[in-house]
Amino acid sequence: MPASTELPPPEAAAPRHGGEPVFHVRGLARIYGEGTAAVTALAGVDLDLCAGELIVLLGASGSGKSTLLNQLGGLDSPTHGTLLYRGANLAEFDEAALTRFRRDAVGFVFQAYNLIPSLTARENVALITEICRDPMSPEEALALVGLADRMDHFPAQLSGGEQQRVAIARAIAKRPEVLLCDEPTGALDVRTGITVLDAIERINRDLGTLAVIITHNAILADMADRVFTLSDGRIVTARTNARRGSVHDLAW
Amino acid sequence: MSLLDRKLLRDLRALQSQALAVALVMACGLAMMIMTRSLMLSLETARDTYYEQHRFAEVFARLKRAPNSARDELAAIPGVARVQTSIAIQVTLDIPGLREPAVGLINSLPERGEQVLNRLHVRSGSLPAGRTTTGELAVGEAFAEAHGLKPGDRLSAVLNGAKVPFRLTGIVLSPEFVFEAPPGAALPDHKTYGIFWMPYRELATAFQLYGAFNNVSLTLAPGASERAVIAAVNRVLARYGGRGAYGRIDHPSHRRVDDEIRVLQGLSVAFPLVFLSVAAFMTNSVMSRQIALQREQIAMLKACGFSNAQVGLHYFKFSFAIVAAGVLVGTLGGIFLGGRLVEMYHLFFRFPRLDFLLDARVLMAAVAVSALAAFVGVAGAVHRAVRLPPAEAMRPEPPASYRPALVERLGISRWFSASFRMSLRNIQRRPIRSGLTCLALALATAILIVPNSFRDGIAYVIDFQWDIVQRQTVTLSLVEPGPARALADFRHMPGVVWAEPFRFVPIELRAGPITRRLMLQGLPERGTLSRVIDGRPQQLTLPPRGIIMSAKLAAVMQIGPGDSVTARVLEGREREITVPIVGLAEDFAGTAAYMERHALNRLLLEGDTVNGAHVVVDHGRWNDFLDAVKRTPRIAGCIIKDSLREGFRKTTAESIGLLQKIYLLFATIVAFGIIYNSARISLSERSRELATLRVLGFSRGEVGAVLVGELVLLTLAALPLGLLLGSGFAKGILTAVNTETVRLPLVLTAANYAFAVLVVALASTFSALFAARKISEINLVSALKALD
Repeated sequence: MPASTELPPPEAAAPRHGGEPVFHVRGLARIYGEGTAAVTALAGVDLDLCAGELIVLLGASGSGKSTLLNQLGGLDSPTHGTLLYRGANLAEFDEAALTRFRRDAVGFVFQAYNLIPSLTARENVALITEICRDPMSPEEALALVGLADRMDHFPAQLSGGEQQRVAIARAIAKRPEVLLCDEPTGALDVRTGITVLDAIERINRDLGTLAVIITHNAILADMADRVFTLSDGRIVTARTNARRGSVHDLAW
Repeated sequence: MSLLDRKLLRDLRALQSQALAVALVMACGLAMMIMTRSLMLSLETARDTYYEQHRFAEVFARLKRAPNSARDELAAIPGVARVQTSIAIQVTLDIPGLREPAVGLINSLPERGEQVLNRLHVRSGSLPAGRTTTGELAVGEAFAEAHGLKPGDRLSAVLNGAKVPFRLTGIVLSPEFVFEAPPGAALPDHKTYGIFWMPYRELATAFQLYGAFNNVSLTLAPGASERAVIAAVNRVLARYGGRGAYGRIDHPSHRRVDDEIRVLQGLSVAFPLVFLSVAAFMTNSVMSRQIALQREQIAMLKACGFSNAQVGLHYFKFSFAIVAAGVLVGTLGGIFLGGRLVEMYHLFFRFPRLDFLLDARVLMAAVAVSALAAFVGVAGAVHRAVRLPPAEAMRPEPPASYRPALVERLGISRWFSASFRMSLRNIQRRPIRSGLTCLALALATAILIVPNSFRDGIAYVIDFQWDIVQRQTVTLSLVEPGPARALADFRHMPGVVWAEPFRFVPIELRAGPITRRLMLQGLPERGTLSRVIDGRPQQLTLPPRGIIMSAKLAAVMQIGPGDSVTARVLEGREREITVPIVGLAEDFAGTAAYMERHALNRLLLEGDTVNGAHVVVDHGRWNDFLDAVKRTPRIAGCIIKDSLREGFRKTTAESIGLLQKIYLLFATIVAFGIIYNSARISLSERSRELATLRVLGFSRGEVGAVLVGELVLLTLAALPLGLLLGSGFAKGILTAVNTETVRLPLVLTAANYAFAVLVVALASTFSALFAARKISEINLVSALKALD
């Protein structure tokens, strides 16, 4: 078990690495609906996330972790608070600017992989590399996740872990600044889950991509630089791991 | 209401626009079927009731003159039930305010008592009293309407050279003239041709025919052979200048009604069936999708103890609800449109009553056919859904398996974008559904071709018949055939620029068991006014021997060039001649046979005889010319080409035009319905994929392109197929509505094709825009969630 320091928020929200944060979040709130029907999904979150960090967001269902991920990924706009990406206010982005932001800066990995079934692994990745600025080749991206020999297979011909690694290759091929992973191992067994997490960690380490993983599986916390636990739309605990554990050493 | 039914209602509400699209397509097919079948029933019922109540005769004959005593000879023929003799004479009319000379056919009313056969129906006013008063006429409704005549109005007629003033006593209808067209003309011209009735004594006296008749109608005793009676009547009348008896089938008014019913019959089956098949396919695709979406719900219902039958019934109810909406809209639409058409039929078919009658049997059959179509459309999907064990159904469906499309294996795939490949592979993965969608789109294109081919056919007929074939201004006919020097008189009439004589003689053509009565037209060898044109279309030269006949007539009589036909001359002394057929002419209204005039004269054993001329008149002297016609008692008839053309436009063209508009409306609805439905289903099936693409950074437009790519590919494949199918439909339907009185040529124009393509393209664009709007409503966050 790596050494860790427990710190109360919001101080712990400060990054371990120095420099300009990729995301600067202050007082972020998201309320759905109005009046008596209003549901508060995020109730004031403060965070700074930097390049090269691997972040794990823990929390039970309904804790607000997915809402936070959606805010970071430009899928939703905040009700209150500040959400800066590289100093630019995401809340002020219009539809086209948000699309550009997702296209160029964000790589998404979904729990259900969300591959296009009619495209091969290579084509699923190429679909994205065709539309962004400075992508790596689909082959290179697939090699990074260890699928160099499965490139011409269709999703239906791949195992769950392989499909999720294709999804990761698709997310990283654009050389995104941030990799957002929503329960990436949620639909996988332990052994395949490890290969997927390994791929995410390697990308984070080798390419310096900020990786944010949301999960309800607390064991993943040990592989992170920093771990936040959400409950009722707030960060209730934040801790910084002194040393990141290897994926293979996680105590499953 | 059970909870399942409440679920049904809510599901239907959620699916309302698609359900509506399917119901509308079904409604179009049903409306068309109900409309045409009910019109047939309405016409048949009106006709049969009218014929029965007013004792429409079964055999008819014209003759030169027979003494009234000959009536008893006719009545004595075995198989004859009742005999009605009368006088019918064509006269020139002078209608106040009408420049053109009009022609009236005056029929006599019996001297004593009511007519035995062909009784009149008095629409307004009364019949001429006869005994005490003179100078009274009853007029047929069509002519009265065309001139705004009312009982009490006055007009003059030239009776045997003397202009006689008349007062109209009433407006009447006769079962003999349901369709009022001049003899030999397939088209009506109510402006210049009318039917009148006046007391026998007055009419007979004016024409020195008192104590005689020149027209006879009779009915047959039950079981009597019409053929035998006709033959016997001809034998009796031969002495009196009989012009050949004929049955109802050759009666011009009766035939015209029959032909209209035949046209409706042609329209009533094939086209609605296409619509209903498309509706069945759409029901299937909507329900398959609905059932796929409700896979887990079905599993839950089954897990909770609902039986397969209950679940199956639930989804059948779903599709039957769509059928019910389609039947309701279709029936109301059919009744409404049928009512409109009945009103229009009233303009050229004169029945005492022509009410719209809903053909309940067809309604029932249509409901059964639609319900069956819906059942077949849903059965497969329901069966698959209920067969699935609940535990398996609760799990999301495994990812669909794909493989590279066939075209990609040609090695050209590197030029295809990823989204294009997605479209190709989606099409190939479900070949049957893609094929059916393509076929439905092709049908949408095809059904747009048909109505416009009607429109183009009418335009062609109008040009062909009255610009290419008939180039005269008027056709003048003499009271009696006379020496050809009459032509010189015509040429000297004011304003006449050119005149070409003709000799028309009524004949009965016979080939095997088939006989037809028509005018044999003796024309100049290569005339410049009334020309004989073939199908190419080029003018034919009339040879010194043999006849040229309408291609349609040849087809009906199953004869052609090289064959010989027997022609019985129905004028003057009866004689039979056998003539070879030397060519076929193209014509679209009525049927005719043509012969070189001198050859006809020789055949009739007569000198250089004519009975009229086609004339070109200088428009500057039009009024002088008309006045001269009115002053010339020898001229019995004056047919003005432009009024015939107008008559065609107002009747045939208008009825076909209305049908064309209705069909076009239906075809457009179906085209939109099919495409909209395909886009909706595609959107529903791929919403998750599209949301993922949006999250991954695709813009709305790019995602829209992915969505419509498949539809565009299918549409592109469907268009040429649709144009081909549409041409075939047009040909089939025009063949079905091709009758001896009116025909339409198959005219397929680039504009027609372009219109069909345009409508389908517009429908696709509309659907794509709609889909694009839906894409912006796609919940991006939903893509992140695991499949539920």
